[in-house]
Amino acid sequence: MRIGTLKETYIADAALFDSRTQQTWLVLGAALLLLFPFMASDYWLYLACLVSINVASATGLNILTGYTGLVSLGQAAFMGLGAYTVAILEIRVGSPFLLNLLAGGFVAMAGGLVVGIPSLRVKGLYLAIATIAASFIAHFLFANTAFTGRTAGLTLPPASLFGVVLDTSFRLYWIIVPVTLLMLLGAANLFRTRVGRAFIAIRDRDISAEVLGIALLRYKLLSFGLSSFYAGVAGGLWAYFFRVVTPESFPLSMSIFFLAAIIVGGMGSILGGILGAIFMTMVPELLKLAVGLLPGGSELTVFLSPVRTVVFGLLIIGFLVFEPHGLAEVWRRIRRFFHLWPFRN
Amino acid sequence: MQTSSISQRRRALLLAAGASLVVPLAHAQAGEDIVIGGSIPMTGVFAFAGVGINAGIADYVKIVNDGGGIKGRKLRYVPEDTGYKVDVSVAAFKKITSQNKVNLYYGDSTAFSRTINPELERTGNILMTGASFATELNDPVKYPNQFLVGPDYTEMFGILLRHIAKEKPGAKVAFVYSDSEFGRDPIDTSEALAKKLGLSVPVKIMTAPGSVDVSTEVIKLRRAAPDYTIFHGYILAPIPEFITQGKQMGMTSKWMGTFWTMDSSTVMKMGEAGDGFMGVMPYRYYYDTSAKAPMLDKIRQLHPDYQSTAYIQGFLAAMLFTEAAKRTLDAGKELNGKNFKAALNSIKDFDTGGLIGVPITIKGNSIPVGRVYKADMKAQKMVAASDWIAL
Repeated sequence: MRIGTLKETYIADAALFDSRTQQTWLVLGAALLLLFPFMASDYWLYLACLVSINVASATGLNILTGYTGLVSLGQAAFMGLGAYTVAILEIRVGSPFLLNLLAGGFVAMAGGLVVGIPSLRVKGLYLAIATIAASFIAHFLFANTAFTGRTAGLTLPPASLFGVVLDTSFRLYWIIVPVTLLMLLGAANLFRTRVGRAFIAIRDRDISAEVLGIALLRYKLLSFGLSSFYAGVAGGLWAYFFRVVTPESFPLSMSIFFLAAIIVGGMGSILGGILGAIFMTMVPELLKLAVGLLPGGSELTVFLSPVRTVVFGLLIIGFLVFEPHGLAEVWRRIRRFFHLWPFRN
Repeated sequence: MQTSSISQRRRALLLAAGASLVVPLAHAQAGEDIVIGGSIPMTGVFAFAGVGINAGIADYVKIVNDGGGIKGRKLRYVPEDTGYKVDVSVAAFKKITSQNKVNLYYGDSTAFSRTINPELERTGNILMTGASFATELNDPVKYPNQFLVGPDYTEMFGILLRHIAKEKPGAKVAFVYSDSEFGRDPIDTSEALAKKLGLSVPVKIMTAPGSVDVSTEVIKLRRAAPDYTIFHGYILAPIPEFITQGKQMGMTSKWMGTFWTMDSSTVMKMGEAGDGFMGVMPYRYYYDTSAKAPMLDKIRQLHPDYQSTAYIQGFLAAMLFTEAAKRTLDAGKELNGKNFKAALNSIKDFDTGGLIGVPITIKGNSIPVGRVYKADMKAQKMVAASDWIAL
């Protein structure tokens, strides 16, 4: 049973990582993240970077949908805005890539603020449709503007930092993962502030929130802006990672992917965004690995590929049915078991 | 007794250590194989082609290995399903290349070819081809380690336009294409070529890919009264709808398509409307017995049932990979992307065993050869409507 968690000050009570056990695990996690690139193959490094980018974007959507209760199907469009901004700046201006990433975030944020305007009038499915419209408008702009390379898109040179060209998954890992960790830290802290709590109040009952003096439009727009900023930075990382940005890089299905990620992971929880993004990215790959272990080689791949897709679909449905609060809740239950053990399970 | 037990344990440890050394050595021996990796879309929207491509590559690899391999070295084919998604496709590439010493690679889309190009250039070990015929990829300077298994989309239009110019000089040709990178690819350059060939392009119509309601577009098309209408950037829909409505409105246009529309099974799905539908095909159809084609005979022996044009594409890709590897080994050169490509470009008047009806020469990144075929719905077959046209 977990003991020794007595808190004597408000600061200790409000600490982000409030127990020794938690701090120890964090240190271990950080050590693992530091060691991982030296142990993993190119394939696993690639997946780590991809997961990291998806975690950043899913966390952004979680701020908007999970914490503020505003459904959005435009996350991919905002990622696209960030990716194109980064690509254009990299190709035409040649500015430093960290600056480009920030610019990508802010341009997407501006897009998010515009798209967020209807959020004062409409909610739920209506808002989802409004954000889908944003996706189509963004796609149209990407595909028809000379500046964005039209349908052929843009090909970026690799980013470089202090003369080191970031052209491999190993090198990109040292940028993508820390940026994502910073964004996660930012999001986790956000919900300890007045702004974050206002978001939660809006999600729980917007009319009551307004009665309490929370300016709905301002906070809803802020939530859209922050969520889009996260998407924009994730899109920027995506652009540096793949180095090719086309209008077809950010389809509507990608927005659905992120929505599914936060639902499977657990809405309104930072850990949920992380676990959901990991699940959605890694499970298809793990299923592929499992199929690969079966004897039969390439012939079996042909038959089992569709089965794999079905299994993935069933897993998602299974989570929605048996654990609607997502993977984060599963994790919480596991933790609770160890906290209370051996007295109750 | 104690000492003996420890010594036995030590011996076991030594044996285990020895075995762990031998296993990688055995793998190193296996690494002598020439490895073809593949990001193949066996699920998703492009699965109809991916399954055929996969079978085509696998069959040719088996034929080569059954014949003793390439100078005693076996070919090994390592495919992964991608679902036709770029990130999954890149993951497959990373996985296959980190687990095998890959020499040759088959990619599934233009976006993948473009995305992986910097990696190909960086490592310099791999020669790649794929399912894409994008004009952009037909650039040996920008894409030095890649090639196309046929003409690019602009060249496909070139073949059709040359056929039209010969059949009906001064004809009016309409372009109907999808609002996608695939659809827009050859349009502007082909309009210029049409004018150069003395043809006119009275109308260009862009629709959503796979759109259903095209009545407004058909009216626009009818008003332009083209002698020929070329569809591009679609697999099937909305082509049958265009043809049916066009015919109902009394249009006399001849209807044409490009490679991905032209598989026999796809055209036959058009039903009655598709009778006489024409298009460009770089390969000979499975059932085309009009000329001697020993390689097609081999395919027919392997599979008594119809094999798609995607299958032929995969088969030919593997054949060209093999030829490039053979020539590189013959020259005693290192197996790397640059040498493979140089070997491939040394191919002059190469006999594909009848898969392509004329000997081929690979100039830059493409094989600019094709033939116009026409649908005979009664026979449920595509029949040749022109001779082989080489650009």
